[in-house]
Amino acid sequence: MREDLRQQIIELSGVHKGLTNIVERDTETIVSGPLSFEASADGGETIRESFEIELIIPRSFPDTLPWVKEIGGRIESDYDHRNPSGTLCLAVPVEQRRVFFEQATLLGFVNRLVIPYLYGYCYWKEHGRHPFGEAAHGHEGILRHYADTLGLHDDVTVLAAICFLLEHGYRGHHECPCGSGRRVRACHGPELRALHDHHTPQTLRNDFIAIFEMFYTKSQSGQITFPKPLLLQLVRILNRIGL
Amino acid sequence: MTVDITKYSKFLEQVASEIDIPPGKYQDAVDRYQAVGRWLEEGDYPGCSDELSIYPQGSFRLGTVVRPIRDGIEACYDIDLVCEMPLQKDRSTPQAVKSMVGERLREHGTYRKLLDPEGRRCWTLEYAEQDGVGFHLDVLPAALDGRGLLSTALAITNKNGSTYSWSASDPRGYGAWFDGKNNAAFARAVVEQKQSIQRRASLIYASIDKVPDQLVRTPLQRSIQLMKRHRDLHFNHHDRIDYTPISIIITTLAAHLYGNEADVHSALSGIVDKLQAHAALVEGKPIDGSLAAIGLIQRRPDGTWYVGNPVNPAENFADRWHEDNHARARAFFAWVDALQKDLLNILGDASPSLLKEHLGRVLGAAVVSKHFEILVPPAPVIDTPPRIHITRPAKPWREV
Repeated sequence: MREDLRQQIIELSGVHKGLTNIVERDTETIVSGPLSFEASADGGETIRESFEIELIIPRSFPDTLPWVKEIGGRIESDYDHRNPSGTLCLAVPVEQRRVFFEQATLLGFVNRLVIPYLYGYCYWKEHGRHPFGEAAHGHEGILRHYADTLGLHDDVTVLAAICFLLEHGYRGHHECPCGSGRRVRACHGPELRALHDHHTPQTLRNDFIAIFEMFYTKSQSGQITFPKPLLLQLVRILNRIGL
Repeated sequence: MTVDITKYSKFLEQVASEIDIPPGKYQDAVDRYQAVGRWLEEGDYPGCSDELSIYPQGSFRLGTVVRPIRDGIEACYDIDLVCEMPLQKDRSTPQAVKSMVGERLREHGTYRKLLDPEGRRCWTLEYAEQDGVGFHLDVLPAALDGRGLLSTALAITNKNGSTYSWSASDPRGYGAWFDGKNNAAFARAVVEQKQSIQRRASLIYASIDKVPDQLVRTPLQRSIQLMKRHRDLHFNHHDRIDYTPISIIITTLAAHLYGNEADVHSALSGIVDKLQAHAALVEGKPIDGSLAAIGLIQRRPDGTWYVGNPVNPAENFADRWHEDNHARARAFFAWVDALQKDLLNILGDASPSLLKEHLGRVLGAAVVSKHFEILVPPAPVIDTPPRIHITRPAKPWREV
């Protein structure tokens, strides 16, 4: 086991004392046990609960974030924020990374993503709604996340923004992909910078593919047309990533 | 966290007893092999005047049984039996001896069904799983290799394609040699252990004197069991498995090196330290003079290796160690280093959960989990869980 991961597991089980069962596999480390917490949120009640969870930490952590399963059978099957593989769907991938980087350790992952998710589930069971809102499923949820984060109303502009990130990374002196005519640093600078910082090349590429697939069907059927510069940029990117 | 050596030794003892054969299963196996023995005894064998005898050899005889582990799951026990025919080897042929036993087993309605196709040296009876644990009885036909009246030497059969030949073996002699190394520790342990076995298995053994000697385990036997289990897991890898050290080498060296230590941890560390002191032989370098004088593991002038059978020095257990650029020798000493690191240098490990994971990986997760509380008592129930105030949370999503 890597020394940094070892240290993080020691820190994690020092706080969450039930997470004591560790299994080392070829491609991942699994930490499991009861996770007890007493959590509160602004405007919400205090919830004290305990769930049996399993954290599946890939070798590539933190470039790839852990997967989480609830293994005590407490989360009901009609709760739809679970992935087809049964793992908990904590958030849209890039939002998971945004929250994770506020405290980029396993302990941070559990405190900032897993516990709020479980809190949200308990709250939903009690009140029938999500305390922090919920993202749309699938690719739509990813697209909406970018639109909300960047404050954009036009989906084609969202595509332009992610193309910009994929092709240039963060470039403050470039013209902003939102089409305002201003430079990035004077326009969507902070938002683009944050997205750029939270992504790995792989996660950015995944999001691009997810969003592009949504547009592809529409453009094939003529429901949508791309401005010429964006079309050229898309061709360059698709060639580069080999799609 | 620092691990207390006394507790650790107790823990190792428990793990070894867990991978050992339990008294009920032992008795079951004894009943089965005695029934096989009676059936074989009642047969008519051309040229045999006296009765044949059937008795266990190998780990079942030596008290070093380890439940095999395959892909992390505990599997069937292997029990080796010698079927000694009252025949001198030069008055028969290996094929005749082998087939006499096979034919007789096939005459029995049940054994015929349990019998595997003919093996290289033995006939195998596959007993189905009972209570989730089964065993294989390997019946090894043998003839007398009578050199002198008191000789215990046998000739066993070897089948290679359709050709049969004899090889030398001396399971009784080896057993007696092993007992000699084990006797003092056995005498120290016998009373207390029989009491404890009788208490735990009172349905099988009505009184202490009914508990067979074969169930008593000394620190030597426990150390061998732990080494074998560690070996099974260490070599459970496609690029190592061909070089797995054979049990007879481990057993022989451990018995030679055992210094009558009174607990498992001291016994194991004594054995492993002394094995490690032989490692320089791999590089062709000299080792400590007193060890070299004993000559347990020898490097010969032509580069080949020698680990002798203590009751038949002409037999070299390490006759293949030089092959593939000394791959077996290297694998053996790398494994000895791993034993030191995995089982002995753990006393300062930082966290209970990591220690448990580590020991589980090298000894088997199920057995370690079962006895880990000896090392680290479970934490008291925590009634104040950590308090978290949620700010800037993420929204749940779902892949499609």
